[in-house]
Amino acid sequence: MSLKKQDEMDHNAWLKKQDLTAVETVFLTTLIWLDKRLRIVDYLELLETMYYRANLQMPKSHTEQYDLDNKFWYWYPLYSLGSLSIIAYLVAAITGALLGFYYSPSTAGAAAQGDPTAAYDSLVLIMTDVQFGFMLRSIHKWAAQFMTAAVFLHMLRVYFTGSYKEPREVNWVLGVVLIALTLFFGFSGYVLPWKQLSFWAAQIGVEMALATPIIGEWAAQLVFGGFTLGQATLVRMYILHVFVLPFVVTGLIALHVGIVWVQGIAEPH
Amino acid sequence: MTDGGTDGEARTDGGPPATVPPDDETPTWSERKERSQGLAQLTYQYFERSRREDEDLRAESTYVERDVLGFPAWPHETLRNLAITSFFIGIIVLVAAVLPVHFGSPANPGSTPSVILPDWYLYWSFGLLKLNPINPGLEVLGGNILLGNEFLGIIAHGIIFAAITLVPFLNKGSARRPVEQPFWSAVGVTGVVLSFTLAALAIQNFFPIGLDLLFTLTFLLPALGGIITYAVLKTMREGYMYDLNRRYYMLRPPK
Repeated sequence: MSLKKQDEMDHNAWLKKQDLTAVETVFLTTLIWLDKRLRIVDYLELLETMYYRANLQMPKSHTEQYDLDNKFWYWYPLYSLGSLSIIAYLVAAITGALLGFYYSPSTAGAAAQGDPTAAYDSLVLIMTDVQFGFMLRSIHKWAAQFMTAAVFLHMLRVYFTGSYKEPREVNWVLGVVLIALTLFFGFSGYVLPWKQLSFWAAQIGVEMALATPIIGEWAAQLVFGGFTLGQATLVRMYILHVFVLPFVVTGLIALHVGIVWVQGIAEPH
Repeated sequence: MTDGGTDGEARTDGGPPATVPPDDETPTWSERKERSQGLAQLTYQYFERSRREDEDLRAESTYVERDVLGFPAWPHETLRNLAITSFFIGIIVLVAAVLPVHFGSPANPGSTPSVILPDWYLYWSFGLLKLNPINPGLEVLGGNILLGNEFLGIIAHGIIFAAITLVPFLNKGSARRPVEQPFWSAVGVTGVVLSFTLAALAIQNFFPIGLDLLFTLTFLLPALGGIITYAVLKTMREGYMYDLNRRYYMLRPPK
């Protein structure tokens, strides 16, 4: 018995025996290398099992069941609105991450009232100095507009096709929450440049919060960081916009889509 | 039944998993279920019922499950989605290039601008803050308003969100297309028109009509839109039912 290490299965010899292209060789070599260390074949097998469980036996879709294949319902294109809002959300997320490299959430630097602050200056920097910065900011802004529009239209489509009916009530309620969060996403982003309109929109937000009895002052302090706007407001809006809301909204979108997946698409009659 | 390593042969892998043989003390699963009380028992009973219901439905059904049917996920669906996605992203980039964003002057807490506006998607919400004319005055308070005007706006927000949330719990039944449910479609159109008129109320400065007229129109136009929708859909439904009936009687002529 030799001390030389031996493969029980000589994969390399097997590899040589095969007549493989370069791509296939690289792929298989990588796969074998990884599999020796991480035993990924087990996981691939699991994935494969899951894939076939999910896909092998598909129930007939509504159109098949009622033999509607020959009919095109003119509402069908509107069924893509939910997906379009997710796409716009992803575009906004990517451009937002890039904008975050240059933005600074600070009201410092204004010598007198009405002078540009650090936040405002960082936007000027993005729009004038950074390569493609103006374009980046435009895409971010417009992706947000498209997302909001798509979300509203998606809600209208769901409403007018009665897709919210039993058993999909919970998902409708979840959708209402998502719309509210989308609007708040937009609002917090609107405040970040700290320009005149941002400031006074936030001012209206604070006044609305303060007009609410009992919880109003607490809400104003939580969301706006006080009763008058300043550094605290900007930082809170920033953290809400780039940290809290992305996690919450992404999670809820996943849940929303997951429920659609589980319950099936409410296909038109 | 083995509890591992009792077959005399020396083993290093621990042998097959050891299981505890049931004795008389150990309750069987059915006994556990019978013994359980209260909520756990109810849950178990419901699950049993629900499973039985499923089985019955399956037994009754003539429906046969088949292998994958319809539009394949790869490559057809994937390619279609890729096309839609790139088209949509292309539109976003194009619009961003053609209509670059506006950038105003820096924030100045000292000077209120003549026009304060949020983004367009919050116009309706901003319009709700301008409902002062319908804020009820109270005689006992000498005509003073009970609620602050802004709190009224916040209550209006609450009412609107609550109404939207409650829709699936109020509108039951299997109707799906707008023609099948003229009333709820009319409610929907009322809501859509209301959001537009509220937006118009929010940017009232841009409308060359009197504020009173604008305020009246804010509530009149949605109602009008709803009524027209209802009338149109009712009429369409007559035609729709006529068509369906005609087809039905062509297939099954009356005796």
